[in-house]
Amino acid sequence: MVCLDKQVIALSTFRRGFGWLAASLLALAMACAGAAHAQAPGSPEALVKKVTDDVLNAIKSDPAVQSGNPRRLLQLVDEKILPYVNFEKTTRLAAGRYWRQATPEQQQALVKEFRTTLVRTYSGAVSAVKQQTAVELLPSRYPADATDVVVRTVIKQPSGDPVPVDYRMEKDGQGWKIYDVNVLGVWLIENYRNQFSQQISQGGIDGLIKSLAERNRQFEN
Amino acid sequence: MNKNILALVLAAGLTACASVPEGAPPDPRDPLEGFNRSVYKFNDTVDRAVLKPVAQGYVNVVPSPVRSCVRNIFANVGDVMSALNSFLQNRAHDGINTTFRVLFNTTMGVFGCFDLATENGLPRNRADFGQTLGVWGVGSGPYLVLPFLGPSTIRDAGGTAVDFLADPVAVRNIDNVPVRNSVYGLRIVNARANLLEVGNLLDQVALDPYAFTRDAYLQRRASLIRGARSEDAELPDYSLPDYEDDDEPADAASASGKPKQ
Repeated sequence: MVCLDKQVIALSTFRRGFGWLAASLLALAMACAGAAHAQAPGSPEALVKKVTDDVLNAIKSDPAVQSGNPRRLLQLVDEKILPYVNFEKTTRLAAGRYWRQATPEQQQALVKEFRTTLVRTYSGAVSAVKQQTAVELLPSRYPADATDVVVRTVIKQPSGDPVPVDYRMEKDGQGWKIYDVNVLGVWLIENYRNQFSQQISQGGIDGLIKSLAERNRQFEN
Repeated sequence: MNKNILALVLAAGLTACASVPEGAPPDPRDPLEGFNRSVYKFNDTVDRAVLKPVAQGYVNVVPSPVRSCVRNIFANVGDVMSALNSFLQNRAHDGINTTFRVLFNTTMGVFGCFDLATENGLPRNRADFGQTLGVWGVGSGPYLVLPFLGPSTIRDAGGTAVDFLADPVAVRNIDNVPVRNSVYGLRIVNARANLLEVGNLLDQVALDPYAFTRDAYLQRRASLIRGARSEDAELPDYSLPDYEDDDEPADAASASGKPKQ
């Protein structure tokens, strides 16, 4: 908004003949446009904005999702969110040092069950979505060549306090992928690490997978 | 009243230790885990048996505009201590905003019944004395689950006590005992009703609801205090120093998850 105002000022000043002032203001506006790489296509901010807007619109326009239909919800997540999330990394980091003790089959099963568990977290959130619910990007700071960044957003509700939600993202071959989420100051991976190690030390990797799977089955039925 | 609570705490304490999951590595932030788990279980039982059904009944019977008014009035009263604590935390800007919120909502908002301040772009900014102590540099101390009140720490429990005693518009200033008790009751029911939307989410998503609640509480409090000190959020470092059986170096590098900034 600020940038736009400056451009308007610059143009009107130019008409009045203050060429030098207009030039400097235009330069400022250009610098502003440069700084607003936030919205540039391919940036992590643009991706987060696109995904969150898509998901919000999908929820708002689909009563089946809003009423918490698990099948529709899983479908929505698969279509709109999954392509932009590195669940494998999320699971690996949550499992921490136990990840390497798992066989590839166990790793695969763990990723699958943990993913379903995280989708279930969504089921509680979607019922809170109202028509006026909107996601706003907050300014983020990171070097231009960063490959591990945090995009900050806030979810605004018609009633109730705004909820800050941050996305931790990593750049890989195919572009930016989300691998950790922070809601109200709580990072998702960090919040599962203790529970994972607790389950693994009690029943091994298979115990953890079984425990996740049991909870997931209860939800799907 | 106090005697009853003490008895409940003691009863809860007696069953302690048995409930700590076997074989799990103890968390250095939670040396009182045995006791805490017992109180957690007690709170959960009280909630399922009494609080939640009563709150559900309240939501079913009382129309939404009235509940919203009740919620806003209690929140407006709570804003008084938030304003005081914001000043104590050297956040004059938030303190002034919150003071203005209280003045605006108490007058134009009919004793806080309507949260006009939020509607006019002045959102609520909570602050409590536990947080103030944290901003002043006091460590959180061990994690502590309080009977009825839920997750806390040694520091935050002290902060809660100070907030309770220092509150100039506290419910305990009401002289008429039946009225006072009714207001207390309404406040508890209101607080629980506000959480009904969350539903059984905790049971669904947590492998161990106790650990989930504890870790979330400690993370949230730390982030609130960092925010109040206007420190940049620290990113969790998921890197692993101890890869003895490192046979896939490429994978280990990506598994480190170290921010490259």
